[in-house]
Amino acid sequence: MKKIMIAIALIIGSTLIQTQAQKIKGSDTCLPLTQKEAENYMKANSKNRMTVVGGGSGVGFAALTEGSTDIAMSSRKIKFDEKMKIQDGGNSVKEVIIAYDALTIIVNPKNKVSKLTREQLAGIFSGKITNWKEVGGADMKIIPYSRETSSGTYEFFKSSVLKNKNYMNGIMSMPATGAIVQSVTQTPGAIGYIGLAYLNKNVKALAVSYDGGKKYVSPSVASAMDKTYPVVRPLYFYYLNKDQKKVTPFISYVLSSEGQKTVSEIGFIPVK
Amino acid sequence: MNTDILNIKRKRRSQAITFGLFRVLSYMVILILLVILGFIIYNGAGSISWNFLTGYPEDGMTKGGIFPAIVGTICLIIGSMVFAFPIGIMSGIYINEYAGNNWIVKFIRIMTNNLGAIPSIVFGLFGMALFVNYLGFGDSILAGSLTLGLLVLPVVIRTTEEALKAIPDSFRTGSLALGASKLQTIRHVILPMAFPNIITGLILSVGRVSGETAPILFTAAAYFLPRLPHSIFDQVMALPYHLYVISTSGTNIEASKSIAYGTALVLIVIVLLINILANFLRKYFGNKVKMN
Amino acid sequence: MKRFTEKIIEGILKLSGGVTSIIILLIILFLFKEGSGLFNNSSIEKGYVLSVNPANPVKTLSPKQVKEIFDENITNWKEVGGNDEEIKTFRFEEIFDLYPDEELDGEILSQRLSDEISKENGIIAFLPERYLLTSFKGKLLESNNVSLSEFFLGKEWFPTAVPAAEFGILPLLLGTLLVSFGTIAIALPFGIAVAIYLAEIADPRIRKFFKPIIELLAGIPSVVYGFFGLVVIVPLIQKIFGLPVGETGLAGSIILAIMALPTIITVAEDAIRTTPRVMKEASLGLGATHWQTIWRVVVPYSISGIMAAVMLGIGRAIGETMAVLMVTGNAAVMPTSLLEPVRTIPATIAAELGEAPVGSTHYQSLFMLGCILFLLTLIISLSVEFISGKKKNNN
Repeated sequence: MKKIMIAIALIIGSTLIQTQAQKIKGSDTCLPLTQKEAENYMKANSKNRMTVVGGGSGVGFAALTEGSTDIAMSSRKIKFDEKMKIQDGGNSVKEVIIAYDALTIIVNPKNKVSKLTREQLAGIFSGKITNWKEVGGADMKIIPYSRETSSGTYEFFKSSVLKNKNYMNGIMSMPATGAIVQSVTQTPGAIGYIGLAYLNKNVKALAVSYDGGKKYVSPSVASAMDKTYPVVRPLYFYYLNKDQKKVTPFISYVLSSEGQKTVSEIGFIPVK
Repeated sequence: MNTDILNIKRKRRSQAITFGLFRVLSYMVILILLVILGFIIYNGAGSISWNFLTGYPEDGMTKGGIFPAIVGTICLIIGSMVFAFPIGIMSGIYINEYAGNNWIVKFIRIMTNNLGAIPSIVFGLFGMALFVNYLGFGDSILAGSLTLGLLVLPVVIRTTEEALKAIPDSFRTGSLALGASKLQTIRHVILPMAFPNIITGLILSVGRVSGETAPILFTAAAYFLPRLPHSIFDQVMALPYHLYVISTSGTNIEASKSIAYGTALVLIVIVLLINILANFLRKYFGNKVKMN
Repeated sequence: MKRFTEKIIEGILKLSGGVTSIIILLIILFLFKEGSGLFNNSSIEKGYVLSVNPANPVKTLSPKQVKEIFDENITNWKEVGGNDEEIKTFRFEEIFDLYPDEELDGEILSQRLSDEISKENGIIAFLPERYLLTSFKGKLLESNNVSLSEFFLGKEWFPTAVPAAEFGILPLLLGTLLVSFGTIAIALPFGIAVAIYLAEIADPRIRKFFKPIIELLAGIPSVVYGFFGLVVIVPLIQKIFGLPVGETGLAGSIILAIMALPTIITVAEDAIRTTPRVMKEASLGLGATHWQTIWRVVVPYSISGIMAAVMLGIGRAIGETMAVLMVTGNAAVMPTSLLEPVRTIPATIAAELGEAPVGSTHYQSLFMLGCILFLLTLIISLSVEFISGKKKNNN
């Protein structure tokens, strides 16, 4: 019994001398990037400690509002009411774009279709186009894979491609991007959307046209940088104004040429 | 007469067929396990190394080790045990030694069974509502441990109860007859005898805790922590969650696949070791008690 | 003095005896506390309103109608009981497309919104409440709370749809039940056969070899099963049945069956072992074969224990989360067969809770799902109690 008491005392004691680490929380899309940036940053500045936690863009903003994170990473712009909530608490947010992400439409490599217009994509994901032969492919059922409703990628795809209309009822929803890649690899009729960074040789990326089929552009770092690829979104860091001093060193590291090199290494598009 | 013999023969044959079928089904179950184990070992063994066990994740989770996840899982195990063991054992003692056989015990037993049947995700919800939000612990070892502790409490109670039940009443009456109080009897006679069975049950509940993901999803688990937890209010990485995350997220699924298999293997080995340890202790203490 | 400490300790023990009951009460309390707000909330996001032109006769719209309107599947007001007028949707953000940001300071923004709505006859606008002035000219639609029938009988699960979310849990509930019964259909023959084999047929050495392996099967973490299912079973099912997708209810059922087997085997075997030797010997003595004895004597005798095993197996299947999340495809449709993707309640909670803002309608609906899951397992474990209790009375 005594031992337990001592143990409890030790545990409580150790909480008091707890040192404060910088916490970053939010979008799963930003996770691999932020994690690697944090890893490199800590290598250079060994006394700084960073904690990187995922959960989704919304989780990040909720944590920022509550004060349980220092930086919220997000794959979408802060929503109006999220901003209002933070302002209601007497704070204001600062927004920094740390990288861009080209949302890539992927299909199974066996699929003959290699390009689609935005309208066709919207038709597929809202359930109005159900067979590949309607868009110039083989006679095969289209299986659209979506992300879970919780992700910023889901929201961005919805606003950019579906023009804010809803996905079809009962779309396959995968808990993470990796699962989409896995499923598209295994399923001949599949179509899904992922960040460019997740693209690998087991899936095929489609060229996309946003002008009704006049010009199709394939996703790549180059086409995203010169803005010809249409489905590009910024990745953000958000922080409270009052924390500026605390978070600036890390953010300026991410924006430095070294940090931006990591950005392109991971497969995102550098800011500059 | 002849037809009787034929009848018996037919019965024998149908029996042989049925038994054969049962045997085949049983061996199939074993086969399934071996396939799963073999699959993980075959794919995971290559990535196990000293560096893998003691290193930190590197290069966007595609290289390096899983040390923080191992430490995190150990923290959660210890935390949940500190909470669940004393309460569970006391509860078991009360049910078996004090309460007698009335409606209260029946009620408690039903409640314990109910608690044991509740899905782990519901514990996750409850842990998030009570510990993380209401009590304000945040995502932390404390919240995760308490949630996991609640999850295994019924197991601890039941094992204690079974262990105590296995001790013949004559020991109790004997001790009481010698003038010992009830509490003394429990402390000096009953508990030492029941100890080996209690401990094996406890070890098995550790196995349960180490593999659970759903309860810690919203109460404790973190994707990446470059350092070990410093207090019980820190978040931790944990093996099962780590496996879930790297097999579904991460930019380079192919590259992190070997890490995923390796993590799965480590998890299975931990569970395996725990099972072996429990069996060993059961035997070891079993012999000791017999010799006394 | 000694007596006194003994009394105190006894009190503490008594208290800890009640701890499980207290925890269950707490679980009920907290789940319902967080979940019950759902029915006092509107499916329209908090702080927002739907507004129409003052001349529009439509007073209220169901969430389904709102969604169809904003998806442009309903395009004329007469389809929802209004005038023959084209519907024009307007989201708050669109105001920033009409006017530059800096011109929309403070009250001017509110004024512009108000003007926009009174200008267009067919408009339906989705606006934050805080920008409504007392002089707001639009007509606000009455917002209804999420109703019990919408929740329990609704066939569409669109928890994050804007402006109006849909919380119909029927597909999730049926998906959960379908996967669970699929699980039992697979696991039951296996489980009972193995239990009978181990209890009656196999010689002790084989049994000694089997037991720890089955215990190990129970010890493998569910994430490992999910991982295995995703990489091995899903592609297998797709090939065998020639399906467009391998992530199906069946994949979930198979994985869950493997996971439920140890429970079923252990409980059923224990039950079979309780058959008194006398009964078996009597049967054998009367000339019955071993199999006849098992089938006519042992199984009927231990049937309640076997039933309990089945119920426990179903319980395990209903609540399992991570493995199912990884293999069933999570499509929220009304399930028609095991060969289609399904979405279960636990998977929904695990996938969505992370993002749902604390206290929002979505968050509450997930806790309500937790309540339902809790009640389902409670019913199951109480019926197990009832079944095994009945047997004791028979003896």
